[in-house]
Amino acid sequence: MAQAATPTITQNILRDGLILPRTPDPAAMVIFGASGDLTARKLMPALYNLALNRYLPSGFSVIGVADTALTEDEFRAHMEQAVQKFSRSQPVDRAVWQSLAEGISYVRMPFDDAAGYGRLAAELDRLDRERGTNGNRVFYLATAPQFFSVIIDRLGAAGIAKAGEGWKRVVIEKPFGNDLKSAQALNQAIHAVFAEPQIYRIDHYLGKETVQNVLVFRFANGIFEPIWNRRYVDHVQITVAEDIGIERRGKYYESSGALRDIFQNHLMQLLSIAAMEAPPNFDADSVRDEKVKVLKSIHPIDVANDVVRGQYGPGWVGGQQVPGYRQEVNVSPASTTETFVAVRLKIDNWRWADTPFYLRTGKRLPSRASEIAIQFKNPPHLPFAKTAVQELTPNVLVMRIQPHEGASLKIAAKIPGPVMRLRTVNMDFFYGSSFMVESPDAYERLVLDCMLGDATLFAREDEVERAWGLVDRIEAGWASQPPPAFPNYAAGTWGPPEVDALIERDGRRWRRP
Amino acid sequence: MSTDHTELSARTFVDVHDIQEELDQVRWGLHADGEGSEAAQHAAAEARASVCNLIAVVSNEPELGEVMSVLDRLSVTNPSRTLILLAQHTREADKLEAEVSAQERTESGHRVSTERVILHAHGEPARHLASLATPLLIPDLPVILWWPGRPQFDNPLFDDLCELADRLVVDTDEGFDDSDLARLLEVARRNKAQASIGDLNWARLIAWRHVAAQFFDMPGMLARLAHVHGVSIFHGSDGQTAQARLLGGWIRSRMARVGIDVPLEFRPEDSLEHGVHRFLIYTGGDEGPARFSMSRLRGGRLSTQIRLGEQELAERTVRLESRATEELLGIELTLPGHDVLFEEALDAALR
Repeated sequence: MAQAATPTITQNILRDGLILPRTPDPAAMVIFGASGDLTARKLMPALYNLALNRYLPSGFSVIGVADTALTEDEFRAHMEQAVQKFSRSQPVDRAVWQSLAEGISYVRMPFDDAAGYGRLAAELDRLDRERGTNGNRVFYLATAPQFFSVIIDRLGAAGIAKAGEGWKRVVIEKPFGNDLKSAQALNQAIHAVFAEPQIYRIDHYLGKETVQNVLVFRFANGIFEPIWNRRYVDHVQITVAEDIGIERRGKYYESSGALRDIFQNHLMQLLSIAAMEAPPNFDADSVRDEKVKVLKSIHPIDVANDVVRGQYGPGWVGGQQVPGYRQEVNVSPASTTETFVAVRLKIDNWRWADTPFYLRTGKRLPSRASEIAIQFKNPPHLPFAKTAVQELTPNVLVMRIQPHEGASLKIAAKIPGPVMRLRTVNMDFFYGSSFMVESPDAYERLVLDCMLGDATLFAREDEVERAWGLVDRIEAGWASQPPPAFPNYAAGTWGPPEVDALIERDGRRWRRP
Repeated sequence: MSTDHTELSARTFVDVHDIQEELDQVRWGLHADGEGSEAAQHAAAEARASVCNLIAVVSNEPELGEVMSVLDRLSVTNPSRTLILLAQHTREADKLEAEVSAQERTESGHRVSTERVILHAHGEPARHLASLATPLLIPDLPVILWWPGRPQFDNPLFDDLCELADRLVVDTDEGFDDSDLARLLEVARRNKAQASIGDLNWARLIAWRHVAAQFFDMPGMLARLAHVHGVSIFHGSDGQTAQARLLGGWIRSRMARVGIDVPLEFRPEDSLEHGVHRFLIYTGGDEGPARFSMSRLRGGRLSTQIRLGEQELAERTVRLESRATEELLGIELTLPGHDVLFEEALDAALR
């Protein structure tokens, strides 16, 4: 058959029908803090699993940067051990690891050493030449937060992050700032080198399958949105409860507390996705615009009446006796850091006006649970005798993030028998029972999204600053109060007694998740 | 992942109403009087997630055992109501028996239970099993018909079940020749065909397609796609060529979309090792000759390489999953509607 003129191909037609619309461009990922815990536990296993499952492009390269004395071979061996220990796919495929490891190199330098950045630039140039990374770079800041600004500054000064050939992106781990002012300062420092679309602020909660499933649950089912508003919803409870203590993170936690560690990020993210309007599409700005609108609509918090803080004392959790917070390693014996916070807030918009949202998070609570619970209003009239309905409780739709990911709906049903008696039953959907497949780690999803240039599941500047604004308001309120009488709850309980009062004065009760 | 597997009950029936009643019993944990212990009802409520109805057709007892164990393993990821039809219409005396059982599994703390009905028929009833299967399906859930081996295209049961099903799943790697592939395409293209076609062999090619597509995602490589002038597919010399044909059909059908007719070369290798061994795509044009190659390595790996003129570019090794039948079936259960790509590949493979 005679061949026609050569067609112009504008898209990869071999990709039709495959899950991902494209493979990321070949790129070099520079990991600052490469000898640290996050790199070993999360990043390198995530990269290995992405490589294993064919998501990484040919030529993908990693440069580890740290001030630890390691040769390149030692660094690779260290990373291999990390993958063997922490990868979700076992056993580790040696040939695939070898193929990935060929692109791994190491640059030893202190993060503020200008000369070191010259060596880093030379290494990046080598990768461009030899492995075809074409100037595409991800700078992953897996370091302690005090190094964020200096690394960004030095990257800028060395010209490594300069736009030119290829794209440049920076990934920043939480905590993103310590308050609104420091977050703004950090944003400013980053913006001196990177534009907002180049910045990927990680909150790994958003990489969790079940958090994304909340969006699917809300916006891919026609039956929930019509009742997802003040007309039908009595109130919403969002819980991020941990049964563990602070492990060995006393130093960090002393300067953070529950408000900064969980409330500012994970709880605000859950609040946003539970309360947001449907975005027109799932692109980064459409989704984040809607989330920011929720944060903008939060009614100013009356700290004295709407916030409860707590700190755990000694107690029993899961049959184990555990020390109080003040007895933990690297914690002051007179610490006033909160390990529990509960907030009652309202969202001033048409959907949610006068519908309270109760948020709580804490350490050393009786169980580990993250969930969004939507409690619906009672029916306007019950045509049954009072004795028939005494056991009835309102309908509650719970979206569980962890553990036992899924959803449950509490409904009323007749107790079988000759008389009309009603009771409440749970209809459960276990995510695991219907899709009992291994989910990718949140970091795999987020690293891949960053390489593909999709920032939907990353926090935007205004989102982060709005959340810090709330935290600052709460901190300011606390500063004007007398010092808290900590500890005020025993480990293994659901927080201080005041937390019950916070909700009970509205005629409501906390759920037991 | 810990697994605990319990057979809750297994009883034999011949009447469809009895079967339905027993299914209700095992599904909801109810006693004959319609009540059940609170614990049993709660357990049933926890275990109720079902994603589809799955009908498997087998023609002999040994095959039945294999199919049952595949479906058992599949039920972990896809809790379903399963009907297994052992249809032996060539055996003379009429016979119709049904066995209902429920299985319960606990996987990492999640409880999943499924119901299974085995319908065993000889003679005339074997041709009409679809009439018995219909009332036993869970309403509103899709019906997947899995026909292991070569389907009996001329058996009326095949047509009846295809009408009932939303998806027919076969494995063209199980001895399909060109005429079988053509019959399959015919089924997919029937007027008002309700059942879409899934092929486990097509699912095995995902990795090959993925890696081939990735070559042309690389900067500067997309333009070369317009200059594909040949494809070579090396395969085992064990006589099974359906997988190689499908892979060739796939690239040919994709390139046909932009008006390029790609000549295919199929080359059996000395090795008897089954399936596709190597897949080479040749391009030309102003940018010079290039070869994009993928080779299957031992241990479930795929090695990829690009040669531009005489220059070899970055090589890499990725996983080529050797998926068990239940995993391939699991992929098929999640695919919606007609797989146009597969149908086009099948069509191109036959041209």
